[in-house]
Amino acid sequence: MAGAPEAPKSELLKGTLDMLILQTLTVHPLHGYAIAQQIEALSGDVLRVEQGSLYPALERLQKKGWLTSKWGESPTGRRARYYTITAVGRRQLGDEISSFDTVLVAINRVLRRT
Amino acid sequence: MWLLDVLRYRWRVLTRPRAHEQEVAEELEFHVGLEAMQREHAAHGELSAREARFAARRRFGNVTYYQEEARRVSGLAVVDSILQDIRFALRSFRRTPMFTAVTVLTLAVGIGANTAIFSAVDALLLRPLPFREPERLMSVSLSRPAIGERGANDEVAWSYPKFEVFRAAQTIFSDLTLWTGSQFTVRATAEAVRVAGEFTDSHYMPTLGVSPMLGRLFTPAEDTDRRGALVAILSNELWGTLFNADSNVLGRRVDVDGTLYTVIGVMPAGFRGLSGNSTIWMPIPTLNLAWKVMDPWNHNYFAVARLAPGVSSRGAPAIVRDLGARVDAVYPNPIGGTPAGSGDNRRLAVGTTHWSAVARPLDATRVDGRVRQTLLTLLAAVGLVLLIACANVANLFLVRASARHREIAVRLAIGASRARLVRQLLVESTLLSMFGGAASLAIAWVGVKALSSLQPATALRAQNVAGLGIINFSTIQLDFNAFAFAAVIALATGIVFGLVPAIQSTRPSLTAGLKDDAGGRSFAIRGLTSRNVLTVIEIALAVVLLAGSGLMVRSLAHMLGVYPGFDASHVLTLRVNRAPAWSRDSISRFYDVAIERLNRIPGVVDASIADCPPLGGWCSGAPIIFPDRAPVPPGQEHGVGVHWITPNWPSVIHVPLLRGRFFTKSDVVGRQKVALVSEAAARAFWPGEDPIGKPINVGEPDTMYVAGVIGDVRYGSMDQPLRPEVYISYYQRPFSYRMMLFIRTRGDPAAIAGAVRRALREVAPGFPVYDVRSLDTHLRDFTSYERVSSVLLTLFAALALGLATMGTYGVISFAVAQRTREIGVRVALGATSGDVVRLVVGQGVALGAVGAVFGLSAAIVVTRALRSMFFGVEPTDPMTLVSIVGLLALALLAASWIPALRASRIPPVQALRGD
Repeated sequence: MAGAPEAPKSELLKGTLDMLILQTLTVHPLHGYAIAQQIEALSGDVLRVEQGSLYPALERLQKKGWLTSKWGESPTGRRARYYTITAVGRRQLGDEISSFDTVLVAINRVLRRT
Repeated sequence: MWLLDVLRYRWRVLTRPRAHEQEVAEELEFHVGLEAMQREHAAHGELSAREARFAARRRFGNVTYYQEEARRVSGLAVVDSILQDIRFALRSFRRTPMFTAVTVLTLAVGIGANTAIFSAVDALLLRPLPFREPERLMSVSLSRPAIGERGANDEVAWSYPKFEVFRAAQTIFSDLTLWTGSQFTVRATAEAVRVAGEFTDSHYMPTLGVSPMLGRLFTPAEDTDRRGALVAILSNELWGTLFNADSNVLGRRVDVDGTLYTVIGVMPAGFRGLSGNSTIWMPIPTLNLAWKVMDPWNHNYFAVARLAPGVSSRGAPAIVRDLGARVDAVYPNPIGGTPAGSGDNRRLAVGTTHWSAVARPLDATRVDGRVRQTLLTLLAAVGLVLLIACANVANLFLVRASARHREIAVRLAIGASRARLVRQLLVESTLLSMFGGAASLAIAWVGVKALSSLQPATALRAQNVAGLGIINFSTIQLDFNAFAFAAVIALATGIVFGLVPAIQSTRPSLTAGLKDDAGGRSFAIRGLTSRNVLTVIEIALAVVLLAGSGLMVRSLAHMLGVYPGFDASHVLTLRVNRAPAWSRDSISRFYDVAIERLNRIPGVVDASIADCPPLGGWCSGAPIIFPDRAPVPPGQEHGVGVHWITPNWPSVIHVPLLRGRFFTKSDVVGRQKVALVSEAAARAFWPGEDPIGKPINVGEPDTMYVAGVIGDVRYGSMDQPLRPEVYISYYQRPFSYRMMLFIRTRGDPAAIAGAVRRALREVAPGFPVYDVRSLDTHLRDFTSYERVSSVLLTLFAALALGLATMGTYGVISFAVAQRTREIGVRVALGATSGDVVRLVVGQGVALGAVGAVFGLSAAIVVTRALRSMFFGVEPTDPMTLVSIVGLLALALLAASWIPALRASRIPPVQALRGD
C-alpha cells in the first residue's frame, strides 16, 4: 500500500487542503462540490486549486477515519455523497490549526513582521 | 468508533472494489455537471452547454487523473493489481496443467504428511494436559539406589506409609494425591463388565482440579475409615453402561469384584483419570490385608502434586529430594550399610543404599522417552520430505521461469518494475502452495486416521512403555492446530520456493532476454547451476531418509527374526477373570472342567491355561533361593520369572522339553512340589550340571524340586536378554488371580472364538471373558511399535526418493532441451547415439554421486544419534548403505535414461536449425 507520496498536486502548503476540508465540514455535512465552493468562497478566491484534487484528499481522509461519507439527495434532486467529520477528525483539525498557527507565528517572526 | 470507521472504509474498498470505483466516478461526474450548470446559469445564455462544460472541466482539472489518484489513495489500485496477478496466475496454470498438477500434488504430499505427523506431535507432546493449570502439577516418585543386581531407578512408585510420611512433612504443595490403576469386574443389575479403574484418595480430584457432575467426591474420613459404607465414583461412561445414565444413581450399589460399593458421584464426560482409561474410582483400601496397603515396601502408588502458590516448579525438586531423605530416615532400606564386596559384587560396595524422592513436571512424564524420540524423528523425516518437495517445486519453477524468460524480459523492457514481476511470480507460487495445502488436508486426514487407530494399550504398554495413560494415540485428531499448521507451512513454502526463482528469473538483463537465442542460453546456464545444487540437495536428503528407514527396517527384520520360543500360529488366547468367592479346591476343579469342556469344541486341538502371556509384560517375578547352597545376603538373590501353567501348556504352544519331564496330572497338592525351569535358568544356575532334582525356593517357603527343563520363552521385549524362568503347576499351587487360556486350533483361531465364549459361559457363568485374540496378533502387536515406525519411515523415504528422482528427471530433461543444438552438432560430427546417451546419463550419474556422498556423510551422523532406536544393527551397517546406494543408482539411471534416449533420437538437422 505504501509507495509514492500522496501530496495533493496544488499550490497550497502541504497538508493545508486537508485542514481546509475538515474546517468546512465542522458546521454540517457537505458534498464534494459544496466543499470546493466553500473553500473558494471563504478564502475570497485567494486559494484556488484544481477542484479535482479535492477527491483524492477526501479518500485519504476517509482512510484515516477523519471523515465518513454517506450517499444522500442533493437540492437538485441528484444523488450526491455527503461527507461528515468524525470526532477524531475534529480533534485532528484542532491539532492542525494550532500547529499551523505556531508555524505562521514562526514564519512571521523570521520575516520580522511582528 | 474511529477504528470502526476505518475498518468499514477499508472493508468496502476490499470487498466491493467495483462499486467503490463507480461511486467515485459518479461523484466526479456530479461535481463537473454541477459546476457546468452553475457557469451556464451565471453567464445568462452567453455560454452554450458545451462551452460551460469545457470550462467546468478546466476548472476541475484532469478528471481521469484525479479519478486514478483517488483510486490509488483508497488502496484500490493495489487490490486491483493483486486480483489481476491472481487472474493471470490462474490463466497460466490452465495453460500448463501438467506443471500445475505435479506441483500441487508434490506439495500436497509434503504438507499432508507434515500435518499428520504434526497432529501426532501436538496430541502426544504439546497439547496441555486436560486439568486445571496443568503446568502447576508435578509427578513425585521415589528414587532407589542401585542395590544388588537391581540398578538405580528414579521412577519408583510410592508405598502408602512412605507417602504418608512425605505428605505430613511437605509444605510446598497445596495438594497431593496417590493413585494406582487396576482392572475390575463390575456389575450393577445386568451383565458383569470388565473395566479399568483407579484406587485413590480424597485429594485426587481436587489436585487435578476436576469436580463431579453429580454427587460428591470422597471425604478425608473415607480415605482411612473403612468401617462405614464402601463408596465409589463412576465415570460418565460407566454411569451410562451400568445405570443408563439414571440421575437417581446416587446411593445405588455397584458390585466391584464381589464387594458392594455405594455410588456417591459421577464425573463429567471425558474425565478418565490419569491412567486415561479409568471408569470407576474407589478409596485406597487401607484396611484390606490382602492388598498389603500398609506395607512400607509395597511400592504400588503414583503420586501427583499441585505446587502451592509462590513455589516454582524449578525449585521444587531440591526440596522434594530433602523430603525424600526424611522418608528414608523413617523407612531405611532393610539391607542397610554396604554389601560385603567380593568378586563381581565389589562394585556394589560403592554408592549408597539411601532412597530419595524426585519431582518432575507432570507434563514431562506424559510420554515415554522412546515415543518422544520416535515422534521427533518422524517429524524430522517428514520435514526432510517437505524440503525435498520444496526443492522440487522450486526446480519446476526455475524450469518454467526459463521457459518464460522471453515473456519476463519483454515485460521488464516495456517498463514493468522488477518488484511487480517478483510479486506476480510470488502470487503464482503462493496460490499453488495454497492449492497444495488444501489438497494436503485429504492426505493428512488419512494419516491422522491411521495414527489414531494405533492401539497403544496393546502395542506400547506391552513393552512397559512409560508415560501417562491419558496421552495416547487415540487423542490424535485433525483439529484447529493442525489446520493452522498446514496453512502456515503452505504459506511459508509458497514464499520460500517462489522467492528464489522469482528473484533469479527477473534479474534484469534486458537485451539478453530479448535477443533470440544467445540470451536464452546464458540465462539457462545460470539457472542450471542452481537447479543442479537443488537436485544434489534433494538426493542427499533422500539418502539420509533412505538410510534411516533402511536401518529401521533391518531392526524390524531382526526383531521379527528373534524366535519367541513358541509357535504362535493357530492359537487362540483369551483372559478369564476369577470368581472372587472361589476356594482353592474349586479352582482346581475349574481347570479340569474348563479344559475338558473347551476340548469338546470342534476345531480345538487342546486347551491350556497359564497366568501370564508371553511378551506381555507384567509377569510375576521373585528372588530364587537354593536351599542346598550357602545363603546369599538378602536383596542380592537372582530374580526369576514365576509362571503358573497347566501341565499341557508347553505342548499346546509347542515349547520343547529339553530334559526331564513335563508336569503331569498327578503333580497335585500334597505330592512332592515340582517345578520346570527354562533353558536360560538351567544355564545360569546349574552350569555344567544336571538341574533335574535340584531344590529351589521361589517366593514361598515350600521347597520345590526341578522336574524338567523346557525351551526359553520370551516374556520381555525382543532386545532384552532372556530372563531365567520357573514354572509352577496350577494343580500344585492353585492360583486364580489371573488366567489366560491358550487354545490350539485346527483352523483359523478367530473362527471358534464364539464357541469358546459360549462354552466358558456354560462352565463359568458370570465370568468376564476378555482380550480374545490369536497368539499371532499378540505377537504382532508386540512389534507394532517398530512396525509403525519403520512403515512410516519407509513411506517417507520412498516419497523422498520418488521426489528426488522426479527432480533429477526434470533437470536432465531440461538440460537436454537446452543442449539440443550442441547435441545436434556432436551427432553431425559423428557422435553415435551411444555417445549421446553416455553424455546425458553421465550428467545424472554425476549429480547422483555428489548427492550420495553428501547424503551418506550426513546419514552416518544422523543415524548415530538415533542409535537407540535400532535393534541388532549398527548405524554404519554396510548392507543397508550398499543397498540404498544401489537403489539410488537405479532410480537416477531411470531418471536420466529417458531424456538420454530422447536426446539420442534428435535428428541433427532439426537440432541445428534450432527453434
